[in-house]
Amino acid sequence: MTQIAKPIKRRKIKGDSGAGYAFIAVALVIFALFTAYPVLSALIISFQKYMPLGSKFIGFDNYIDSFKDPLFWKAIKNTVVYTVLTVPVALFISLGVSLLILPLKKKLQTVFKAIYYLPAVASGVALSVVWLWIFDPMPNGIFNQLLGYFGISNVNWLGATSTSMFSLVLMSWLSSHGTSIIIYLAALLGIDDSYYEAAELDGASFLKKLWYIVIPCLKPTTLFLLVTGVIGSFQVFQNAYLMTGGGPDNATTMVGLLIFNNAFKYFEFGKAAAQSLILALIIGGISLIQFKFLGKDVEY
Amino acid sequence: MKRKMRVLASICALTLALTALTACGSSSTTKEGTPEGTNNTNNNNTNVSTEAAKDTITALLPPVSPAYQENFSQMEKDFNALYPNLTLKIEPASWEDMTQKLDTQVNAGSPPDIAFLGSSGISKYVEQGMALDITDAATAEMIADFDQAPLEYMKNGTGLYGFPAYMEVHALGGNKEFLEKAGIDYKKIQKEGWTFEQFREDIKKGVVSEGGKTSRYGFVFATAGVASKDYLAILVKSAGMPAAFDKDLKFAYTSKNYLEVLKDIRVMIDDGSMPKELSSVDAGKRWNMFLTGQTMITGKGLAVFENSANKNNEKIKANDGSAVKGSIPAEYIVLPVPSFAGQKAMASAVVDGYVAFRGKKEPTPEHKANVVKAAYFLASGKVAATTNNDLFAAHITKSGKKEAESMTVNRNPDNVAAVEAMLATASPARPDIPTDLGAKAIKLEDEVIIPKLQALIAGEITPEAMYDAVKAAAIQTFGEDGVVKD
Repeated sequence: MTQIAKPIKRRKIKGDSGAGYAFIAVALVIFALFTAYPVLSALIISFQKYMPLGSKFIGFDNYIDSFKDPLFWKAIKNTVVYTVLTVPVALFISLGVSLLILPLKKKLQTVFKAIYYLPAVASGVALSVVWLWIFDPMPNGIFNQLLGYFGISNVNWLGATSTSMFSLVLMSWLSSHGTSIIIYLAALLGIDDSYYEAAELDGASFLKKLWYIVIPCLKPTTLFLLVTGVIGSFQVFQNAYLMTGGGPDNATTMVGLLIFNNAFKYFEFGKAAAQSLILALIIGGISLIQFKFLGKDVEY
Repeated sequence: MKRKMRVLASICALTLALTALTACGSSSTTKEGTPEGTNNTNNNNTNVSTEAAKDTITALLPPVSPAYQENFSQMEKDFNALYPNLTLKIEPASWEDMTQKLDTQVNAGSPPDIAFLGSSGISKYVEQGMALDITDAATAEMIADFDQAPLEYMKNGTGLYGFPAYMEVHALGGNKEFLEKAGIDYKKIQKEGWTFEQFREDIKKGVVSEGGKTSRYGFVFATAGVASKDYLAILVKSAGMPAAFDKDLKFAYTSKNYLEVLKDIRVMIDDGSMPKELSSVDAGKRWNMFLTGQTMITGKGLAVFENSANKNNEKIKANDGSAVKGSIPAEYIVLPVPSFAGQKAMASAVVDGYVAFRGKKEPTPEHKANVVKAAYFLASGKVAATTNNDLFAAHITKSGKKEAESMTVNRNPDNVAAVEAMLATASPARPDIPTDLGAKAIKLEDEVIIPKLQALIAGEITPEAMYDAVKAAAIQTFGEDGVVKD
């Protein structure tokens, strides 16, 4: 039986497609090297007892240990509390500030945008040093001096379990809204003036316009900021690491900090990798829920 | 023109992608093929065929003393003059990022040959198999040069993993003027020590309050930040618990004496002798409080603080604005830690030194011998004498003592005598504690003891609650039979 050799089809790179592949290659290579490969490595390491001179496969032990560890659950609880307290308020503040900036002249808008974005440019470590100074527990600390004017005695902001989480939340409330403000402002500028004109003809108040025009029109932006805010908040590490070190009594130990400690303090890279993947799953799950319930009528 | 631009842009994009790939590839100038045929660091086992073969030894060193890092190039030159075939390559690191830098290199399998670290940190590198046992490479002359007590700290099990740089005691520091005003006979205390009961009464005398506001405390110890481990760890040594494990390798902090120390910690705050905000006081803050006269006694105290206080006093005299803001002249007095629960006082010894590391490949005997030569060079003779004088630390090598004879140090002789007395009763090294037990104890300390101590100091839990939490965690970690029951 003879087989007739089929001519091999060669796909030719025609016209713009070559340039297209070249451009995609940049992103693809960077993604493969700095995202896909580390994630795959983390997955493999999560089933190992990592040792520089040769790791050992230990199955699901790292996952089981993590689920049995009360500190892991405490860290998850702390992270959820931090997220619930910071993200909605951050959205509210960003929207409020954007609404205040919106009626201003373009130059003034730019000035305010720059002012609010400035902390994002500053080093997180430098900002933390300033905040440590603000939260100085002694009576001459900045916040404590303010309290002193009202006859309230000094508070041990970062050193007591009752106030340490609130202090980190307060720090989040009072900083780092620049990006959200710029995004909200861009979205606000994208709302067609005809909506407002029609509403004004109907005699709508500011609050009515806000409720029936601004908030629905901003829904895609709000969803984006909510999802990215929750993801960022779940990964929070720097504030706890620099401000409290997770203390006191692990009251501010977030999952990110716990993972860091397991990896770089105790060299338990397997456990850290397992906890990172659990965290990724949690974040993925929450993001899915957010899209399902809040993204129903959102058009992109 | 349009086509040319497209091609050019595509080439640029591909170049960028390939650059990213290239950056991740292994370099041809890694340790295996160093320039000039030198045998750089511990991964190498080639090119060393004769005793005089060229070799490079790398060292990761923090600012051990105030002037230490200024001398690096001189140290490299002196080493090369001593061993012309060897090059000492020093990589400086700050104290803040020293551990992280070292750990990253260790976990990547390419640590420096030598790193400066505390002896308590050796066990975790031994557990990983990355610390280099130099027992067979250290010559008898080198070993004989060191005092035995600090050398023991560089051991783990039967292995020797480096050479000690100094042996210090974690003590307390007092302001001479305030101690005298409070009627405290500090010279007697320096010689004879004190009990907690005596200490408690004395620090009460140092408190200055007016209208409900305290302008000076009797005692302030740093308990936040990097110093968080020190406070309790130092105090329990003088309560009959010189190490986390007793001689039978049972976890010691379940002893009733531990509870007594916790009660005493709380009572000093309740007395008003220590600030109620103590849980937020870090090392920098409490030193500032000492220099500005906000506390009579501070902790932890190291001999080098006398040097710092003296320097600040000179700056105050010079009146050039370089002194610490609001500081007052303060003569630093070394004081021992009091004894607790009727036990004998035992000073908390700290031994830091030059630890040897290996890479993924076993180093050649020649390279190992060269690493030992470099570690010994750094830990003895002129380098040790200069560094320890700068630190006001005692010399622990014969060669260092000899070199130091010609150097002058402006120290209070009473302080020198007090430190020597404490060194004589310092907690001994415990190389017998297995690395896995040591690692578990460190994790228990980090995850239970320190967090609970912070809550105790903040007044949020009782000493009994903390003791119960520590005991429960210890039993869970070491088992019912693995802890002390008294």
